[in-house]
Amino acid sequence: MYAIEVKNVSKRYKTVQALDDVSFSANKGEVFGLIGPDGAGKTSMYRILCSLLLPDTGSAFVDGWDVVSQMREVRKRVGYMPGKFSLYQDLTVEENLMFFATLFGTTVDEGYDSIRAIYSQIERFKNRRAGALSGGMKQKLALSCALVHSPRVLFLDEPTTGVDPVSRKELWEMLLMLQERGITIMASTPYLDEVRCCGRVAFLDQGKIRGIGAPDEILEQFREVFMPGRPASVIPSLLPSPLSEGNSNLQDEGTNKPARNEAGRETTDPSRTGCMGDGSSVISVSHLVKAFGSFRAVDDISFTVQKGEIFGFLGANGAGKTTAMHILTGLSQPTSGTGKVVGYDIRTEYEQIKRHIGYMSQKFSLYEDLTVAENIHLFAGIYGMKKEEVERKMTELLRQLKFEEHKDDLVGCLPLGWKQKLAFSVSIFHEPGIVFLDEPTGGVDPATRHQFWELIYAAARRGITVFVTTHYMDEAEYCDRISIMVDGKIKAMGTPDELKKEYGQPDIDGVFTLLARQATRSSD
Amino acid sequence: MKTFLSFVLKEAKHILRDRRTMLILFGMPVMLMLLFGYAITTDVKNVRTVVVTAYLSPQTQAAVERLAQSEYFNITQTVATPQEAEQLIRNQRADMAVVFHRDFASKHSGLQFLVDGADPNMAQQWTVFAQQTIATPNTQHSPPDIKLLYNPQMRSAYNFVPAIMGMLLILICAMMTSISIVREKERGNMEVLLVSPVRPLMVIIAKVVPYLMLAFIIHATILLMAHYVLAVPMAGSLFWIIAVSTIYIILALSLGLLISNIAQTQLVALLLSAMVLLMPVVMLSGMIFPVESMPVVLQWLSAVVPPRYYIETMRKLMIMGVGIGSVAKEVCILTGMTLLLLAIALKTFNVRLKE
Amino acid sequence: MIGPLIRKEFLQIRRNAFLPRLIVLFPIIIMCVMPWVMQMEVKNIVVDVVDIDHTVASQRLIQRIAASNYFIFGGQRATYAEALKDIEKGKADIILEICDGRYLIAANAVNGTKGSLGSSYLSQIVAGSDEASYLEEKSWEGSVATLLLYNKHQNYKLFMIPALLAIVMMLMTGFMPTLNIVGEKEAGTIEQINVTPVAKWAFILAKLIPYWLIALFVISVCLLLAWLVYGITPAGHVGLIYLLAMLLAMFFSSLGLIISNYSDTMQQAILVMWFFVVCLLLLSGLFTPTRSMPDWAYATTYVNPMHYFIDGVRTVFIRGGGVVAVAHQLLALAAIGLVTGCWAVMSYRKNS
Repeated sequence: MYAIEVKNVSKRYKTVQALDDVSFSANKGEVFGLIGPDGAGKTSMYRILCSLLLPDTGSAFVDGWDVVSQMREVRKRVGYMPGKFSLYQDLTVEENLMFFATLFGTTVDEGYDSIRAIYSQIERFKNRRAGALSGGMKQKLALSCALVHSPRVLFLDEPTTGVDPVSRKELWEMLLMLQERGITIMASTPYLDEVRCCGRVAFLDQGKIRGIGAPDEILEQFREVFMPGRPASVIPSLLPSPLSEGNSNLQDEGTNKPARNEAGRETTDPSRTGCMGDGSSVISVSHLVKAFGSFRAVDDISFTVQKGEIFGFLGANGAGKTTAMHILTGLSQPTSGTGKVVGYDIRTEYEQIKRHIGYMSQKFSLYEDLTVAENIHLFAGIYGMKKEEVERKMTELLRQLKFEEHKDDLVGCLPLGWKQKLAFSVSIFHEPGIVFLDEPTGGVDPATRHQFWELIYAAARRGITVFVTTHYMDEAEYCDRISIMVDGKIKAMGTPDELKKEYGQPDIDGVFTLLARQATRSSD
Repeated sequence: MKTFLSFVLKEAKHILRDRRTMLILFGMPVMLMLLFGYAITTDVKNVRTVVVTAYLSPQTQAAVERLAQSEYFNITQTVATPQEAEQLIRNQRADMAVVFHRDFASKHSGLQFLVDGADPNMAQQWTVFAQQTIATPNTQHSPPDIKLLYNPQMRSAYNFVPAIMGMLLILICAMMTSISIVREKERGNMEVLLVSPVRPLMVIIAKVVPYLMLAFIIHATILLMAHYVLAVPMAGSLFWIIAVSTIYIILALSLGLLISNIAQTQLVALLLSAMVLLMPVVMLSGMIFPVESMPVVLQWLSAVVPPRYYIETMRKLMIMGVGIGSVAKEVCILTGMTLLLLAIALKTFNVRLKE
Repeated sequence: MIGPLIRKEFLQIRRNAFLPRLIVLFPIIIMCVMPWVMQMEVKNIVVDVVDIDHTVASQRLIQRIAASNYFIFGGQRATYAEALKDIEKGKADIILEICDGRYLIAANAVNGTKGSLGSSYLSQIVAGSDEASYLEEKSWEGSVATLLLYNKHQNYKLFMIPALLAIVMMLMTGFMPTLNIVGEKEAGTIEQINVTPVAKWAFILAKLIPYWLIALFVISVCLLLAWLVYGITPAGHVGLIYLLAMLLAMFFSSLGLIISNYSDTMQQAILVMWFFVVCLLLLSGLFTPTRSMPDWAYATTYVNPMHYFIDGVRTVFIRGGGVVAVAHQLLALAAIGLVTGCWAVMSYRKNS
């Protein structure tokens, strides 16, 4: 008997065929990955399997029970964490967990073992309201809530979006532990390293199953989707940095790397932009502190960012990245410390700072009820750009993004990846001195991330400084310099190569894991 | 049972932690009671009166004196011509004018009132009061005895306390419940709750219970305030007042549930309860505007507005103190509506997601 | 800088599935239905008669009651107790008992206005029917002439239409801005705006101006409908009505934004706004005369813009007053509007 069995399931919404004759099955105790780009129909599949949605045709069985006719039995046996799951913001961390434990007929103590690895990281905040947690910590709490009971079959819809790499590893270790206890897990994820943790994966695209098999086979078979332009030989390892290995054979094979190297832009090459060599700093902060009550979200950080740099601002969830970014962008005042951004004081001249920066936040921040062109006009207008200039630049931009025919589409109707690219383009439309990107590629599929980074390089080539936070360690390797923030402090800073050498790790992922693990221990 | 309790507890925490909403929920009834009890009156009081006379004869003086001494009228000015008086009324410096003609003293006639007729009701009342005040007390004519039943001091609180209960209970039960259920839908939590082993019906009942309690507390607050602060009588049986209110609260909760079944976003739920629910309740229930004065079509329409029956029943039970037998018809209609709405609400409740 | 922002607000209103319909339909429905509902005019009062005398005079009296347009003759009852039962059941409003040539009027006064007006109308009829004694009396009472100014036909709709203007303005320009900023907060777009150099006043003004234009549209629709449906036109200058309405819109839209700025969720914002609206409305003199209020309540009318608007618009609309007549109200409204406007700008924080 299969733990999950799907036979010829189709589901159609008014104009969209969400699922088209989908069939697959997963064995008991298997970790089964459901992967595919945005809007492929993954969420519909989960909902059908959880008996939340009725399929138009076909049938599906979970743990041997029919999801259509035996709804009650199915619901007793499954656990489900939806993609846009949000906690009860006004309940504390502990109350949230207790509520979900009772909901699933268990207690926090009983289920503690299955969530220890993740919950222990947020347990010290257990009396804080969930609404006051940072984005990644919320996700961890949500995961704890979903895992506190041991269902027969567990459905996880992109559970690690916005979660830092260390915690992602811990989560997957936990999932594998659950697997050993005979729990079947079906999960989807945009991270390739996570895909590799699955026993088998199904690749879903436009409502159709394109292939089912071992992760490496599928990634290989559809590598133009998952590893845009990457040669097959690189797949087993994490993506190497195009910068650090700029002269390696891999790079020479050509088409794989984002467009940056072609422009000859390297950290060590002073000639790449006109204004790089003068060493003028765009950001310089010293002893910056932001405290909320007795909690120091940002704890005495100092650093400088040079003009034209791509600066990666890494850190675990809740390390204080977003708080620091809010201070730099003039959204909030520091508790103490001084700093200058594009030459203006962050305490007193924050309105001038805003004139010269671009910003793209975690939350998608264009107006969904305006069209592409209207959004561009709005933000260009706010920065006081001339009408003819706006028209000219907009045509150019839309051509570059291949967005011409979507000029008058509502932004809300665009796929997530497109929205992100558009949001970035809008944030640098007024040619700011520096652009702040707060996890710009969260939840985006690999192909789109690749395109996104090409946009970032193009901006950097024009002399725009880029200040970016990310949880994708391959992206971190693309940066000129990175800093790793842990518990409100900057623990390491330098070029990716320097850091790798300093900590004796093969890649940034290793460096990050090392530092973040240290911190977790020290804070306990 | 433990699951159920933890559900109720969770919901209660949601309500208690939103301080501002709590403040409004309890501030609103208190404020409304105070306003309706003290501030909103149609008493004839402080009517600004202008005396129009060319010269003051003793008789005129006596009449003016009587007006001035009454608590109803304030003599603000004396002018010579009616035109001046009219100008004063037009500019809102006066409400009415008493015009004494030249031969008033000799003939006992030639008295005229110029009244600002903008508000027909008040104009009517001012005239009646002014006539009675100026009338010589030694008149032979004996007016009929007038007895004002149930509310001899004509306090508007008597009329409005039942109306406030009718409005607030439906607002709290229907609007708050529907919004809180839809909020869970909007945030994606409903999916998890539905997929959990808990029966969907229990999820809903657990969500509704805290609001039920809230409604009872607010109901009690209103009753206590009405009795002890505003001195509104509780003429009828307290048991029946509470019993009928319970039926009404259940009705309102069913309405809230129904709205939450239809609405997908908080905004829609809000607008549905505000526009489709609150407007008719305030306008067509006879709360402020008597149903009998409406055109027939609107009277028919008001027949399906539940608060109409509730307010009617409460006015009779609380203020008039009639037995339950006299309101049997209203109570039956109310019960019928409750059962019907509850049935529809449960029937349309989705155990799966809508597409 | 402000141009694109205003354009954005308009586009967002237009794109909304619900708002454009609301803006057009709401004033129409209100103007077509509400004047019929808001009849505080006392009529159709059911009178039960307990006629113990059974004289010719009492029969004539009953005929006169039935003929009056205020009353409906509910029937004769044998005893007072029986008639009282009718009142308890809601079948009758007033009892007239005729016993030994004396009259007793007992009115259900739960609704005070209805009870007192009904009984005084009835006593007038009773007094009038006593013609014999009435004519003998040389009292001057009968010769009192009452001249109702401005609203000669006692048309309650004429009284209520300016009030409706106020209500429509309040709901349209008050509630939509209330949802606006808090909606941007919930969508997350406000953060994007906060990192741009847009000035606070520009952002707030760009949000206010569309609502003012909507107010302009709504007021025109209302005035037009009052003329088309009820044949009621303002006695005074229309320009003054527009001026008053725009000043009121300035206040309510600013109030809405202030509440929106301080709120975290839409539900909270709406409840708080609703609280203010109810209080402002009840204390404005829209339904009941302000001068009947106790002193503490009357004192609040000095800062209640709704009170100034109602006073002003009724003076212009019904009494035909000119600029001089409403100068006081105009100044007060402008001052209050300006203060709330500034507050709205100040309460919007781009930097915390």
